[in-house]
Amino acid sequence: MVQTAAAMEAYNGYWANAYLPAADILWIVVILIVALLALWQARTFVSKF
Amino acid sequence: MDLQELKKLEQKRRVRYGYMWALFCAVLWGLWYLPGTVVWDLNPFDEMFGEIAAASGDDVSLVVTAVLISGFNALTVIIALLVWNGVLGKYGEMKRTLKEFKPCSKWFFLGSIFGGPVAILGSFIAMGFVGGAFAAVAALMYPVVGSILASQWYGEKISRRAAIGIFMIIIGGLIIFGGGLFAELGSGNIGWIGYLGGLMAAVGWGIEGAIAGKGLDIAEPDIGITIRFLGENIIWWIILIPLLAITGFPMIKYALLAFEPLTILVLVFAGITFGFCYVSWYKSFPLIGVGRGQGIGNLYGMFAVIFIILFFGDVPSWTLLLGGAFCLLGSFTMFSEETGGLESLRGE
Repeated sequence: MVQTAAAMEAYNGYWANAYLPAADILWIVVILIVALLALWQARTFVSKF
Repeated sequence: MDLQELKKLEQKRRVRYGYMWALFCAVLWGLWYLPGTVVWDLNPFDEMFGEIAAASGDDVSLVVTAVLISGFNALTVIIALLVWNGVLGKYGEMKRTLKEFKPCSKWFFLGSIFGGPVAILGSFIAMGFVGGAFAAVAALMYPVVGSILASQWYGEKISRRAAIGIFMIIIGGLIIFGGGLFAELGSGNIGWIGYLGGLMAAVGWGIEGAIAGKGLDIAEPDIGITIRFLGENIIWWIILIPLLAITGFPMIKYALLAFEPLTILVLVFAGITFGFCYVSWYKSFPLIGVGRGQGIGNLYGMFAVIFIILFFGDVPSWTLLLGGAFCLLGSFTMFSEETGGLESLRGE
């Protein structure tokens, strides 16, 4: 199913008033950074305990 | 350095890691609200909601659509957890744990019932029949259930300081969502089913934590949580979704329509945040105990509001600042606890 114009408008509307720049991309980047940080800490944890 | 000092140092490191994992859980849980909110406006869920609402009303439509979204969320969570375990090289351990059903896996399958359909569905019912703020506040109560159960069941110690910390974080959450809560409760005409949903959320997650604490006595958290989500996937995809399809809701039609690039992207990121948040939650339990892990995990309420303000541009209210201050104070009360008192998490 292709996104309708209304769905895309609602989706883009979420990020339109964000306090951060390029919020529609930045949320993905932030999640990736935190997730990778958690994974790295998990590997460190495995080696320590 | 003598043996006693080494033991103390090791204990300090364990507690520090325990709080770090609980904090990771809170941040990732807060981040989950971004994909978890926008996915409702994407197709096929947007059209599914409209179609069911036209036939059965908004409340029923919300719960039924939530079941399908929760099913997809559980599916992407298990993919994220398989990646997590792959990176940590734990597939062999996963096979071993799965084979040991009676002493080990049964706890995690049981946890999936309380954490999945009871807590998540309860939360959506509370959201649909009362409101979002009520659902959030109700869920904040789960550490009370979790720590009481862990204390009564297997004698987990909860210090006075930790109890004060948990209480302050709950008060902080109450203040953050307070305005919305009173508006929702004041609107009147609220069915008992909405309050039942709130109770299901608090009791469900609380019981899940206590059960996990028991299962984690003999299993690794990374594996335990993967088995728990295997159980949740079975509940959604083999029991509840087919059951709703049989009763006439268009579950299969919309499940097949969900394979759209933007919808999948949003679901994948919901899976990463939810999966990694849950594994961090479970990892904190053996290190600092269920009560403290759940208490710090409760900071998700504050993080969710902060991320929603930053990314969706909502205007921060004074309740966030005051509630956030309570949350920070509660966390600091727990972080600053002398680690010597945490040497044994269980009673004698």
